[in-house]
Amino acid sequence: MRRQVPLILCFLFGIVMMLVEFSPHPISEGLRAEVIKWDLIIGPFALVIGVITLVHTHVIRVKRRVEHWQYSYLVFFGMIVMVAFGLPTGPKNEVFEWLFDNVQVPMEATMFSLLAFFIASASYRAFRARTLEATLLLVAALIVMIGNAPIGDVLWNELSPVGDNIPSTARQWILDNPNLSSRRGIILGVSLGVISQSIRIIFGIERSYLGGGD
Amino acid sequence: MISKKMIPLFVLLVVVFGYSCNLAFAQEAPAEVDTRLFHTGKIWIFVSVILFSYAIIHSIYHARSGGNIFIRRIAGLEAVDEAIGRSTEMGRPILYILGLGTVGDVATIASMNILSQVARKTADYETPLRVPCNDPIVLNVVREMVKAAYLDEGRPDAYSEDDIFFVTESQFAYAAAVDGMMVREKPAAVFLQGTFYAESLILAETGNSVGAIQIAGSDSDSQLPFFITACDYTLIGEELYAASAYLSREPMLLGSLKGQDYGKFILFAGIVLGVTLELVGITWVTTFFQEVK
Repeated sequence: MRRQVPLILCFLFGIVMMLVEFSPHPISEGLRAEVIKWDLIIGPFALVIGVITLVHTHVIRVKRRVEHWQYSYLVFFGMIVMVAFGLPTGPKNEVFEWLFDNVQVPMEATMFSLLAFFIASASYRAFRARTLEATLLLVAALIVMIGNAPIGDVLWNELSPVGDNIPSTARQWILDNPNLSSRRGIILGVSLGVISQSIRIIFGIERSYLGGGD
Repeated sequence: MISKKMIPLFVLLVVVFGYSCNLAFAQEAPAEVDTRLFHTGKIWIFVSVILFSYAIIHSIYHARSGGNIFIRRIAGLEAVDEAIGRSTEMGRPILYILGLGTVGDVATIASMNILSQVARKTADYETPLRVPCNDPIVLNVVREMVKAAYLDEGRPDAYSEDDIFFVTESQFAYAAAVDGMMVREKPAAVFLQGTFYAESLILAETGNSVGAIQIAGSDSDSQLPFFITACDYTLIGEELYAASAYLSREPMLLGSLKGQDYGKFILFAGIVLGVTLELVGITWVTTFFQEVK
């Protein structure tokens, strides 16, 4: 019974929501809006559970004195401060906004900026021309990089007697033809995979997400 | 749930019901409100969905009746056992990252299905399985799912709820937290399965730097190159959705993959036909597909 009820609900909602997609009738639109509301209502309840588990995780870390347990106090400190300023007056509170703009945003930007270094290290590994595929990748990447940089076209037009703006034209050809066609191949496969997976879930054939078994 | 003989009847009923209601409601409606029950502009999409669904369901029932299903070898999924075995031998945890998707994303559900199979194996080998979540609903579903997997394997004592925990909903804070875990705990295996955005390479490169065997899988085509570069194995697009069937080897799940192949064959035939006719100056196939929205 514990697994039958979710399966029945999944079947009903799956079929109804699929049909709703093909119907512009006000009842259908209303039903879609209603289900979205339910989803929005479930979210905050789940967030409470999320916050409880977060606190629990860090309390355990402090109790067990695991490595770097002291940082867990920072989590509590940050949480209490943000809740203390944000909860009574909402997100427009000056202190709350200041903390968000000057602490959270710069920290997230710092993490994002690490991406540049990770791209460099990953590219170095990917572009080592050890195999034919890696060599092709290296050549394509060089053309795209030179084509993307304005100096590529400028240098080509100055130094080469053949054609104008060849680097940017070659870059665009690579992006529009081999790149786009392979991406579309992946997208078609993904779309069919999504439909197939959805059918398996709607008809209760795929039950692994319920923990497997019957 | 539905017998094979009932499928065409079910499809026919849906179509007839939809069409009749469409006519009935359209006559009674005021002019300014669209009261059609069926969006006639989406008829071809609807027909395609029905046909493709029928192909999949038919293949599933064919597989259930004992039909032989061939499935090609997927290196990334073959490596799952290797990754779990490595973690067990090294006595280090497995880190399973579900990405930033919500429980409404099919890729996240596909990832959960793989996690379920991984959890069954970690239950057997008593290997710690750590799952940091960024969505509280995903957290609760995953906890229940992993718990059920451990129960099914007869190892409820090995299940630790503390190993599946909520981190944050913020994208880069999540990436920072998971990176920190990787550096501190040095997992022997990292699974990156689901929906990923800009944090994909940050996670994959950190996993690479700690020497973990990494198996990634995503339907985000813009993130796949990063995973291919930084991870040992990558499930590309549809392979992510095939993973559950591949790992469990359940005939009914494998059958759905065959149905998927029928869909791919029809699309491929359509592309070849369209290109050929376009080359000889006949454009109706191209025009038809351009009008389907």
